Amino acid sequence: MLEGLVSQESLSLNSMDMSVLERLKWVQQQQQQLQQVVSQSSNNSPELLQILQFHGSNNDELLQSSFSQFQMFGSGFGPNYNMGFGPPHEAMDECISRTSSCHMEPVDTIEVLLKTGEENRAIALKNKRKPEVKTREEEKIEKKIKVEAETESSIKGKSNMRNTEASSDTSKETSKGASEIQKLDYIHVRARRGQATDRHSLAERARREKISKKMKYLQDIVPGCNKVTGKAGMLDEIINYVQCLQRQVEFLSMKLAVLNPELELAVEDVSVKQFQAYFTNVAASKQSIMVDVPLFPLDQQGSLDLSAINPNQTTSIEAPSTSWETQSQSLYNTSSLGFQY
Amino acid sequence: MVESLFPSIENTGESSRRKKPRISETAEAEIEARRVNEESLKRWKTNRVQQIYACKLVEALRRVRQRSSTTSNNETDKLVSGAAREIRDTADRVLAASARGTTRWSRAILASRVRAKLKKHRKAKKSTGNCKSRKGLTETNRIKLPAVERKLKILGRLVPGCRKVSVPNLLDEATDYIAALEMQVQAMEALAELLTAAAPRTTLTGT
Repeated sequence: MLEGLVSQESLSLNSMDMSVLERLKWVQQQQQQLQQVVSQSSNNSPELLQILQFHGSNNDELLQSSFSQFQMFGSGFGPNYNMGFGPPHEAMDECISRTSSCHMEPVDTIEVLLKTGEENRAIALKNKRKPEVKTREEEKIEKKIKVEAETESSIKGKSNMRNTEASSDTSKETSKGASEIQKLDYIHVRARRGQATDRHSLAERARREKISKKMKYLQDIVPGCNKVTGKAGMLDEIINYVQCLQRQVEFLSMKLAVLNPELELAVEDVSVKQFQAYFTNVAASKQSIMVDVPLFPLDQQGSLDLSAINPNQTTSIEAPSTSWETQSQSLYNTSSLGFQY
Repeated sequence: MVESLFPSIENTGESSRRKKPRISETAEAEIEARRVNEESLKRWKTNRVQQIYACKLVEALRRVRQRSSTTSNNETDKLVSGAAREIRDTADRVLAASARGTTRWSRAILASRVRAKLKKHRKAKKSTGNCKSRKGLTETNRIKLPAVERKLKILGRLVPGCRKVSVPNLLDEATDYIAALEMQVQAMEALAELLTAAAPRTTLTGT
């Protein structure tokens, strides 16, 4: 009975001209069938319930043994069932190449659904997540197949990139329904429950997730961004920080302009180690300073090992003219009053 | 001279960054994107920093010496600000050069110098005329954009050369630019501190 239904509808699934309504109907039927099947088998096997409630453990061997137990109780599926559950172990770890093909053979459709269902569950278990209610998983499967059919029929170029990024982004999240499905050619997008699965919303979602990921990177690098939530606040902080940094550069360049005459005389003082040491000191104390007083950070840095600097090795590169030297020294004297605090 | 002090350390992260393909359609796109961001944070914290410092040292040195030798003694304040501007521009340029043209803002900084030199030869009247027309446009087309987009525009104005860049690219550029600016500030601070430490001694010995 089941096979008959399946064969009829799966053929229609193969043709890409199938309308959405038809597809929905088919999927709902599959859902119902699955529910029946699973409820049947769950009546028979307490182990299935055990598997369903199995969570938190990452033990693949245990899973394998539980799957083999499940196989024994899945008597209604005959020899094909074993094939389906032959390598759940590998399927968990690697790409699910099974889902690549367009053609779903009539007998194997339920298998596919079951197998993907099991794999989803396995992946879910692997991700240390409480397994969802059966219906939710089936709905996911339904959407996955929908999306599969869509992606396979569409132009591969752009949508693949988007799907790639979308699913790869969703795979990083720990939200419900996100699982990583990798393929050689392109990646299927996993739609979450209650979300639209048409091309446009998928693309939108992929784009939004890309942007939010980049905002997270910025959040890490800009100090004080963690306290603010929302894009606007974070952007405010980022703008403020960039302006601070630019102002600092200007101030430092002014300072260097004043100090430049000493540059020649002191140029040989700098050695690799000293500079590196300075950098580590600065880097450590920098973050705390940046937020509070952007304009004059140098005044707050008390911990500089200037004692390490050896001023004795002074070599004049070019002998500066005396007039120029006096001029610059006067400059330094006048402006040093303004700079030092 | 100074470069001999610093061994030329090739940044391994940067070479791997060059191998990164421009358009990736596979699942590696996500990994690439993550690597780009992490690298942009890391590469501004390596030994290349010291190379940058060395180059800046030499260049700012020459520049200020040239300018101060030509200008007169009277304009002390202008000299300082002019020299400061020069040093800042030099520092920015060296920073951009060290980015090896991988980022948009670095290319914009390097290109702006060429453009500035060309503009110098042109008349000033032309530029003011353009400014006015631009202002008129913005007045009439004032539509209140949503807050986020407004801020993104401001950010685009801050990062050089990123006014009409898409949002994800702008965020990438901003990340790299912030990392680079941080490194620049550190280098200049170090330099300034070393000079202030050395200065009192030299002035003492000089006079």
